Amino acid sequence: MSTPTIAPLRGPAVSSKQQGGVGFPENKPAWLFLAPFGIFFVLFLVAPTVYMFISSFFNTSIAKSGLGSFAGFANYQEMLTKPEFWSSMWHTLQFTLYTTPPLVVLAFVFAVLANRVRRGQWFFRLAFFVPFILPSATISLIWVFIFAPTNGLFAQLQTWLGNAIPTPVLADPSSAMIGIAVATIWWTLGFNFILYLAGLQDIPRELYEAAAIDGTTPWQQIRYITIPLLSRTTSLVVVLQIIASLKVFDQVYLMTSGGPGTSTQVALGLITNTAFTDFRSGAASAASVLLFIVILAIAIIRQLLERNQERTA
Amino acid sequence: MATTTVGGGRKGSGVSAAAPAARGAQNSSQNSTRTFNIVCGVVLGVFAIIWLIPSLWALKTSLTSNAVSALGTPAILADTSPTLASYLTLMRGGDIWNWYLASFITSAVTVALTLLFGSMAGYALSRMRFRGRNIVFALMLAGIMIPGTVLVVPIFEGLGAVNLLNTYWAVILPQVPAVIAVFVFKQFFDGLPVEMEEAARLDGAGYWRIYRSVIMPLSKPVLAAMGILTFVNVWNNLLLPLFVVSNPDLMTIPVGLATVQGSFGQRYSDIQASSIMGALPLVILFLFFQKRIVEGVAGTGLKG
Amino acid sequence: MNTSPSAGGLSRRSLLRGGLAAGGLGAAATLSGCSSPLAAGLAGTPLNPETLTFWNLFGGGDGVRLQTMLDKYAADTGPGSLQSATFAWGNPYYTKVSLATIGDKPPDVAVAHLTRASNLAEAGLLTPITAEMLSLVDLTSADFNQKVWEAQKVAGQDWVVPLDTHPFVMFYNVDVCEKAGLLGPDGKLAPIEGQEAFAAALTAAKQATGGVGLSVANINEFATPWRFFQTLYSQREGATQFLSESGTEITMNDDLVVSTLEYIAKLAQDGLINKASDYAGSQTEMFTGKSAFYLQGEWEITTAQGIEGLRFGMVPVPTIFDKPAAQADSHTFILPRMERTEAQMQRAMGFIKSMLDQSMTWAQGGHVPSYLPTLESAEYKALEPQADYSAAADVAEYDSPAWYSGSGSNFETIVGAAIGLVQQGLSSPQDALASMRSQLETYANTANPL
Repeated sequence: MSTPTIAPLRGPAVSSKQQGGVGFPENKPAWLFLAPFGIFFVLFLVAPTVYMFISSFFNTSIAKSGLGSFAGFANYQEMLTKPEFWSSMWHTLQFTLYTTPPLVVLAFVFAVLANRVRRGQWFFRLAFFVPFILPSATISLIWVFIFAPTNGLFAQLQTWLGNAIPTPVLADPSSAMIGIAVATIWWTLGFNFILYLAGLQDIPRELYEAAAIDGTTPWQQIRYITIPLLSRTTSLVVVLQIIASLKVFDQVYLMTSGGPGTSTQVALGLITNTAFTDFRSGAASAASVLLFIVILAIAIIRQLLERNQERTA
Repeated sequence: MATTTVGGGRKGSGVSAAAPAARGAQNSSQNSTRTFNIVCGVVLGVFAIIWLIPSLWALKTSLTSNAVSALGTPAILADTSPTLASYLTLMRGGDIWNWYLASFITSAVTVALTLLFGSMAGYALSRMRFRGRNIVFALMLAGIMIPGTVLVVPIFEGLGAVNLLNTYWAVILPQVPAVIAVFVFKQFFDGLPVEMEEAARLDGAGYWRIYRSVIMPLSKPVLAAMGILTFVNVWNNLLLPLFVVSNPDLMTIPVGLATVQGSFGQRYSDIQASSIMGALPLVILFLFFQKRIVEGVAGTGLKG
Repeated sequence: MNTSPSAGGLSRRSLLRGGLAAGGLGAAATLSGCSSPLAAGLAGTPLNPETLTFWNLFGGGDGVRLQTMLDKYAADTGPGSLQSATFAWGNPYYTKVSLATIGDKPPDVAVAHLTRASNLAEAGLLTPITAEMLSLVDLTSADFNQKVWEAQKVAGQDWVVPLDTHPFVMFYNVDVCEKAGLLGPDGKLAPIEGQEAFAAALTAAKQATGGVGLSVANINEFATPWRFFQTLYSQREGATQFLSESGTEITMNDDLVVSTLEYIAKLAQDGLINKASDYAGSQTEMFTGKSAFYLQGEWEITTAQGIEGLRFGMVPVPTIFDKPAAQADSHTFILPRMERTEAQMQRAMGFIKSMLDQSMTWAQGGHVPSYLPTLESAEYKALEPQADYSAAADVAEYDSPAWYSGSGSNFETIVGAAIGLVQQGLSSPQDALASMRSQLETYANTANPL
């Protein structure tokens, strides 16, 4: 949006000649170029959003056609007063709190370390980044097996460490979310790792060389050069992580289905259950709208932050 | 510690001694930096090995027979006779080939449509002046913030209304409008010099021809990066195909792995073999396009 | 650029080609025959019309036995005649069946719990079962346990073909009961009837085990506490259905609910039943002689048989109150809503008949057959311990019909959680009742989505 287009760059004389006084001679081709994407944009983003808002005020059922009877704010009232809704929001937040700090800190540390090591870059990329491009189903099957009660690798590890009755991580309401978080950290750390690595490579080498001549320790270089210069990457990583956490579904659905009980049920799990198991797409839409608002708010804050940073940078 | 003393020494030294002292500081700090780097490498290596354990464990289990893996961790660790039995069971079963087919077709078609339509829209936004451009821009920006996953319920209902549930299209079509792709293309086109286009225009070429024969050939890097990232995203998507496709023959790899695993019961080796098979195409993709994928992720901040 | 006009023409043509590629793929797929997933995925053609597709939710021992039955069917009808898929148990399974039917690609035949089939029927997702359809394979409604047959009716129509009943039953450890002097002269558990006799038996058992008398899961479990409670509650004179009018009204008898909960709390307090055991734990207690009795669905027979050196028996849950009753559900076959040709209908019913004919195999997994020719056969009557508890199927208490009720449903989760807390001593019966009521009211007041 702030990027200038060619037309104004050419200057008013040329463009007015080109436009021949009609105003926008490029109207037709422009819309033709936009049309294919535009149709998909309207059909699969705008229309569903509008429909979601509308049906959130109706008793819509996926088993019946049409919107169903008018419900007013009943769906919203139900969601806002329902303990399951708030607990699913809390679990979503819990997931965010468990995953964000390790994902930021570990990715940063690994990237800083990797940046100092000349050899074997491919190996670190393989180790840290490959999990990120694998399907959540693979990740979950692996970790459910690792966390399998008694037979699993983790249970065995606990036994070796002298714990005769190993915790069944995913079967215990107090630890199930931690298990999901561990799998998630293993899975997505590579993404942040790559972002940090890219950020590190943008820092001019001369800065470090100058600092080295000044006799700073490597730790001081990290503290006073790397961390401040990577603050943009860090805020990007944090915001992306928060938004991704709000939309968490796959790992929870695959590893615990929201259980034991509802101890790991998250917002999207509640929404899909309400819509596809209870058939209540109207009520699910109301929950979707509420989640939508939260995600939108964070996305807007992100935009504002970025704009701020661009201005100060 | 050594470096601080040297630093202190330098500060204390007079102007005349400045040059040699600085060199000394540099040497010694180079030494300590080298030591530090080695420590870094070792620490990172340890972490990398920890990070590899889950995958290796899955691989090891998948290469063990079901009878052994049923006995638990020590038995799997002690097993020395690897077998491909679980992989053969899977390949003979047939389901996995249908899942591969579904994943491959849905991913490939989505990539083709996203690249074509996204780059066209990006081109229009980058190069053309037209009425309503600002509105389109604002809409797109709003679109980038719409969390697509939240729309799974209305999208399901819409697809049901037009009888597209349980087809590949139900997986493909909703994933085509990736607004981020438009912006990535626009940004890339903004950076291209306009001279070649002007020359082509003087030759009488229309927009479509310029887009096709001037812009597209120059856009191979961005096409490749976006193509691979879109492919990986569509291949890995669980939420949408989970609900719009319920027939096991039409399921994509993640949905198949997620739903039909029940039939494997406690056959750990078969389960892990299926998880490895599900990951395999992407690992191969990574090995081939390592650089593009990494650059793409770093350049776009695109997260699934 | 030296692009010639003809190249422009070509490019326009290739745009056209690109635009049509999508449609072309579909057309090509249609031509390539309609049995391939490719054609089904792109053009929506029916998948394998010559193959019967069957979905189920059976894992563990049930899954193994079902496979035997399916293999027999496939052997009888030829290779490629059957395609079965097993999905994860509970809500995910019913979600898949519903969504597939809504999306017009349902399986020919599927398994459903009776209490869940009624919801699918109300949602208009099932094809009703008529007398003509049954007669295609020489069946009539009289071939089935009438208790089940009556329970499956919705709006005066029949919707399922029942396979079995799986009541909540009592397992007992023979060695422990022997030690406690609870066995009859035939070496089986002597009949227990009434509150006093039950308390005496549990006390004797407690002394013999040094642990508790009876174990029943109540931690991390919702279904089991509900099954336990519903069994006791239904045994009482004056017990009403929990829900009525398709779940829009909560009609339980509050006094009896409280007094039944008090009874459970008392048993736990006296150490006659466990205060806190999870599903596996409650089993282990009986298997290892730390309790004499264990309450659970009869399907756990497979697990118990797998325990080396365990001598056990199974009986209906004793009539502690006024009349015999046992919480139960049934596995049934349903025909999801779809257009069926005569041949397809014949094939679907033929498959169901084949499964019913193999009810004996199925019964080995503990389930009580609904198909009378098997249930009344000498072979079944000789099957132990199955025959000892099959009477429980005649006093089966199904969960009240409601869109949020049935096996593994929200109803069971809400009610089961409250009951489990009472048994743990963490909640008073009155509080539990209030909590059930307030949570159920949310659902009762919600417009029925079916």
